[in-house]
Amino acid sequence: MIPVFAHIGDEHGRRRSVARRTADAVGGAVRELLQNEDLAMGPGLMQSLDPRVRLTTVLALAVTASLVRSVWVLAAVFVATMVVAAASRVDVGAFVRRVWASAGLFAVLLAAPAATSWFTPGRALVTLGPLTITAPGLAIAVRLVARVAAGAGVGLLVVWTTRWTDIMRALTSWHVPDVVVAIFAMTQQQIVTLMRTVEGTHLARESRMLSEGSTAETRGWVVERMAFTARKSLKTADDVYDAMLARGYSGAWPSIVRLRTRGRDWLWLCGCAAFSAAVIGADKLVAR
Amino acid sequence: MHIPDGYLGPQTYAVIDVAILPVWAAAASRVRRTLKSRQVPLMALGAAFSFVLMMFNVPVFGGTTAHAVGAVLIAVLLGPWAACLSVSTAIVIQALAFGDGGITAIGANCLNMAVVMPFVGFAIYRLVSGPAPSLRRKIAASGLGAYLGLVAASISAGIEFGLQPLLAHDAAGHALYAPYSLAVAVPSMAVTHLVVGLLEAAVTMGVVAALARSDPALVAMRPASRPLTWLWAGLGALILLTPVGLLASGSAWGEWAPAAVKGMVGYMPAGLQRMSGAWTAAMPDYAPAFIKDPVVGYVAAALTGAALIAAIVWLVGIALSRRDDASPVPTDDEEPS
Amino acid sequence: MNAPASGPRTVAPAFVLTDVHHSYRDGLESLSGVTLSIEQGEHVAIVGANGSGKSTLLKMLDGLVFASRGNVQALGRPLTEDALEEPVFRREFRSQVGFVFQEPDVQLFCPSVFDELAFGPLQLGLPEAEVRERVARSAEALRLKKLLDRAPYALSGGEKKRVAIGSVLTMEPCVLLLDEPTNDLDPRSQVWLLDVLAEWKATGRTVVLTTHDLSVAAEEVDRMVVLSEDHVVVADGTPREVLARQDLLLQVNLIHEHAHRHGGVLHAHPHTHGQEVV
Repeated sequence: MIPVFAHIGDEHGRRRSVARRTADAVGGAVRELLQNEDLAMGPGLMQSLDPRVRLTTVLALAVTASLVRSVWVLAAVFVATMVVAAASRVDVGAFVRRVWASAGLFAVLLAAPAATSWFTPGRALVTLGPLTITAPGLAIAVRLVARVAAGAGVGLLVVWTTRWTDIMRALTSWHVPDVVVAIFAMTQQQIVTLMRTVEGTHLARESRMLSEGSTAETRGWVVERMAFTARKSLKTADDVYDAMLARGYSGAWPSIVRLRTRGRDWLWLCGCAAFSAAVIGADKLVAR
Repeated sequence: MHIPDGYLGPQTYAVIDVAILPVWAAAASRVRRTLKSRQVPLMALGAAFSFVLMMFNVPVFGGTTAHAVGAVLIAVLLGPWAACLSVSTAIVIQALAFGDGGITAIGANCLNMAVVMPFVGFAIYRLVSGPAPSLRRKIAASGLGAYLGLVAASISAGIEFGLQPLLAHDAAGHALYAPYSLAVAVPSMAVTHLVVGLLEAAVTMGVVAALARSDPALVAMRPASRPLTWLWAGLGALILLTPVGLLASGSAWGEWAPAAVKGMVGYMPAGLQRMSGAWTAAMPDYAPAFIKDPVVGYVAAALTGAALIAAIVWLVGIALSRRDDASPVPTDDEEPS
Repeated sequence: MNAPASGPRTVAPAFVLTDVHHSYRDGLESLSGVTLSIEQGEHVAIVGANGSGKSTLLKMLDGLVFASRGNVQALGRPLTEDALEEPVFRREFRSQVGFVFQEPDVQLFCPSVFDELAFGPLQLGLPEAEVRERVARSAEALRLKKLLDRAPYALSGGEKKRVAIGSVLTMEPCVLLLDEPTNDLDPRSQVWLLDVLAEWKATGRTVVLTTHDLSVAAEEVDRMVVLSEDHVVVADGTPREVLARQDLLLQVNLIHEHAHRHGGVLHAHPHTHGQEVV
């Protein structure tokens, strides 16, 4: 939530340059997207389901996780996402690491103060000088972390097992306006193109610069790169429009790709509904 | 700024997810009218730009870097409605294809970064620019717009967080979602972004200046209808909403010692506390009891703060208009290319 | 394939340009009085240094930019902004004239390769069965069958170019316009592209391409039009005739001083830093 990340150094103890960090982040995002593409086209539980069923599953699990009160039941939901991930040929270790890095760590930092007597008075568990961790405070903090982890796990399921192409097909069959689907599809394509450009220019700077310039100089360069990206975006918008016209664009985006559900899709949906009901029921019992 | 799943309870995210739909519909119809059949590529590239912009590491000091949101920058280039759609599209893709930001929280993230931020920022940009701005003044206006737009977005996020303990708690009264009350969440988000906003402002001004140098038509002012009316309406709504939230959290406030809050989060609610204390103290003894209530003091403090911001915006606008009176009127260009 | 018969001059020329001017919004001219006629079935290369206006000229042939002065006829009819507003003409023109952009990233904007190939035919309002058949046919011809379900952004550069060409071929045009077709292509894809061009020649389609790579132009076209840096046509003839005029090529900045021949093939170093094919 707070968009400041202090990077002290990389694993070799050397501080990476600003250009290197952006290049790594952007290049990493492109590579992950392409890896997800391969993973999502491969065999696996989620992959074998209709994309609409996958999206429904993920939405249902996300809502379920948000309704649960008990930490134990939340943990069970997270374990369930791990099981589905494993059945979808996802590396569970990478799955857990990613959940931790993308949301878990931050949730722990954010929840920590709530565990103390400053924010949550109650029975003291541990006292370290002025710092007192209270039982209800710890419960609040742990619950938040468990809930965030469960939610991030659910989100990662769709990210890692469902291609953007398939999400577009699901949206089309759900009668989302074709213009919206067209914008989404085109955006994803152009994100990859722009990210490759950004990675290239940042790597080029990295290879040219022997040492990092002053903060002001580097910032000036980054801002100039942003302006370049803005110009390139607007130019590309014109070019894409020309390309649309050249291919006879008439104002509509018809699609003739059809999705078909099979028996297993409905079976899975029923299973999902039963799981959600069981989770909420168990939560009622546990968190009475 | 991206809220992951788990921080907002169903009462909050369901309402915002539904409430954001008519905003998108309004933005879509507005964009369709102004951009016609070009809307698809322009919105897609706007969204792709927004997405990529958020990935740039910008050096702050001593090797620290931060990211900009860029919603006000896009509003300056494409208009606030187009910015709303572009940033929303980027947020949806971040959530569903890259795992950044929650799925249930898509509505809230869009409300903060794709509605509050570009509209507040653009309104301030218009206001400070005035009717016939010089380039220098437009650049300054974009910076102030970006700064206050980001702060407004962070306050909006703070309100969403702060409402959680009020809306949902278990039998023992313990928070189920984000655990901090409005009195903690709003100021800590706002104060953090009062600092981070400086970078957002610097980046926005830098990019606007660079684009103006290479292609002045890009940052040409679009004619807007009644910009001032809805700006003040928006500011008024913000001022009204803040005390409503505070009233709702009135009881929760007393639970925490201000000193502890200060030590923990590193911000100064104590300053606000003093203000409310000053308010209470300034009231004559015969005043009705409710006036002396700390909550009323808070409202007064909030109103004072908002008035202060409004005054700064107004004064900066006047100062800049004095200096730039002789500047030429830029050409209007409805469709950037 | 609805390629027209080449040869007899009873058919209307593919394009006739008469004293065409074009200038950008900022007032800079990109074409300053171009007069040019291209017959159906001809393979023409428009060569010129960067900034000579060759890309603008090509876009003008596709009705994407319009002359500020002068007049453009395509397939026997005037090609103007107003004419293209008219749905019947637009549909007919777009189905007959295809444009392959220099950057495939610009031309690919659908969720999958299948959708890319189907986009044009669907815009033309063809029935679904016909669209599927055309997609299958061009996927076969361009070796795209295995890629049909892929997202365009996940493809390699050469694959993207093939999809971009395929997305135009499914519209089955009789005129193909290609902007710098060999740019950014790996050597293998370049050879493949030259084969495709040769095949089009055999089927009698009209091809107009722009390039600053004289070796491509020399091999695959039967006519070369040279645009000068002043945005006018300074030479127009067979590749042999044009390439013989080294002084002229030097003057329009298409070759450097050290252009030379080896093995009978002219090897010119392009003025810009585009990719070289040796």
